[in-house]
Amino acid sequence: MCQSDNIYLPNLATIEAIVDETPDVRTLRLVFQDEAVRESFSFRAGQFAEYSAFGSGESTFCIASPPTRKGYIECCFRGVGRVTEALRELEVGDTVGVRGPYGNSFPIEKFYGKNLVFIAGGIALPPLRTVIWNCLDLREKFGDITIVYGARSESDLVYKRELAEWQERDDVRLVKCVDPGGNGPDFDGKVGFVPHVLEEAAPSAENTIALVCGPPVMIKFTLPVLERLGFSDDAIYTTLENRMKCGVGKCGRCNVGNVYVCKDGPVFTAREVKAMSQEF
Amino acid sequence: MPQIITEANLRNLIDLLVKEAKLVVGPKQAGTVVLYEPLATGSELNLDALPRRSSKELFFPVCENILTYRKEGGVTKVSDVDRSRFPETVLIGAPPCDASSPSILDAVFSWDYHDEFYLERRRKSTIIGIACTKGDDACFCTAVGLAPDAQQGSDLFLTPLKGGGFAYTALSEKGESLVAAHAGLFGNVPTAEPVEFAGQDTEKLDLAKIKNWLDRHFEDPLWESISDICIGCGACAFICPACHCFDINDEGSADHGSRRKHWDACGFSKFTNHASGHNPRDIQNKRYRNRIMHKFKYYDDKFGKTLCTGCGRCIRACPVGIDIAEIISTIHGKED
Repeated sequence: MCQSDNIYLPNLATIEAIVDETPDVRTLRLVFQDEAVRESFSFRAGQFAEYSAFGSGESTFCIASPPTRKGYIECCFRGVGRVTEALRELEVGDTVGVRGPYGNSFPIEKFYGKNLVFIAGGIALPPLRTVIWNCLDLREKFGDITIVYGARSESDLVYKRELAEWQERDDVRLVKCVDPGGNGPDFDGKVGFVPHVLEEAAPSAENTIALVCGPPVMIKFTLPVLERLGFSDDAIYTTLENRMKCGVGKCGRCNVGNVYVCKDGPVFTAREVKAMSQEF
Repeated sequence: MPQIITEANLRNLIDLLVKEAKLVVGPKQAGTVVLYEPLATGSELNLDALPRRSSKELFFPVCENILTYRKEGGVTKVSDVDRSRFPETVLIGAPPCDASSPSILDAVFSWDYHDEFYLERRRKSTIIGIACTKGDDACFCTAVGLAPDAQQGSDLFLTPLKGGGFAYTALSEKGESLVAAHAGLFGNVPTAEPVEFAGQDTEKLDLAKIKNWLDRHFEDPLWESISDICIGCGACAFICPACHCFDINDEGSADHGSRRKHWDACGFSKFTNHASGHNPRDIQNKRYRNRIMHKFKYYDDKFGKTLCTGCGRCIRACPVGIDIAEIISTIHGKED
């Protein structure tokens, strides 16, 4: 199939494992059925794909696993629409379609020798989780690594087993939080909104790159905090998560002004985002 | 000496092309309206009216299969669409506002990733454009850099002559070979006088001036004032020779069916709606702004072309009377 010049033709992948991250967020681990595709498929952290449940259509998610882990890819999504509900009905061994990888990526090589601060909210950890593991798999190339991650409630935190793993590691500083009221009696993280918790954690901006993913409202209140902490707009990276269909710069849906998020993005610096037509 | 083809021979040409098993599409009376339809004979060609819909659907159909899938014995198989079966096509009798549209759309369908559904149809098509001899009060091709006799996009271009028949110009290899293969139908005359254009005098606008204003006025009271009556029906996009937004959906069950690409419109309220419910273009004037911006700024930024041919269909079709020609004229007149 990969020999075809039909850009809309997906590769087929088998669901190898399913993890329910929260009551409505699910991870699928996918293995390409075609051996040649399995071996040739390569991507960079930050790129996305179009995943399909046949009969229901395609949906756009980042590739949530790191490129440093070979042989499979993972996606993570909340079941909120026709396609994502159909993807949730699939079982281990079932087939999904995968088109991609598409879009640009985080320039990880440019981050070598620097400290990294990851800031994520809710279901937006997956696009950073690929970078986090990519960097942890090349741990010696980076300075301090700080992860600030929050969700509405404890049960809404995704990748709970990995949060525990990061918490255990002495080469990662994890600050996890939930919105006020979202914490149970035994919650061992902070209570507060991500921007406030970030400001309190106050990571140094010295030789540091900040990577931010979250709902628009979180980004809106996080950028001024980063600015106060001394981060320049060139040292802040984020991803835009616009609705897409084709993923390849044709269908006219994901544009922010004259920027095609699917082709020019989804990864942008804060400076690039600020220069766009403000229509997010 | 002017090269010409008589009207009778133009109709004979259609008959011959049909006999050669080519799909010949041209303006044809279909019930009460004229549409671009397959012509069975040359006599069906109707050059008296601009077809209700544009000719873009010849290359970019309203809806088409991009793959089929079938699950059998637990194994899902996906099949490609056999594009080698797309027919050799001749589009005949398209005025400049339609004949030029592929020359604009080629850019988006062929940059970076190639959409072979569009491009294969383009490779297999020959466009015989024809000079427009009568506009109406909606059309405005001169405002967007075209003209009733603009040859852009045509492989062979016909100019209606006083006293009947057409002068012709071959503009590409496809046009030349079409003439060469049917040389007996084409001839020369000592003199030929084109039919004069009998339409409205439309403005010539400086598109760079319009773009320059758009570059600086993403936020402007204009957007609300021109589009607060827009009902988001999408008619303007569907009827446009240059609009090319599409959706991709599956038709069928989980066991078998097809995946289809079909027209969409940026004026629809859910067009950019996120799964979370967040919508970057949450109100109609943001959506209408995108329509104008895409046509006169974004497409130009990306591909150096304007995404409008001035056919006027959107003006004729708009149920609430939004007039894009008036809007760009207003923008053109702005000092700042």
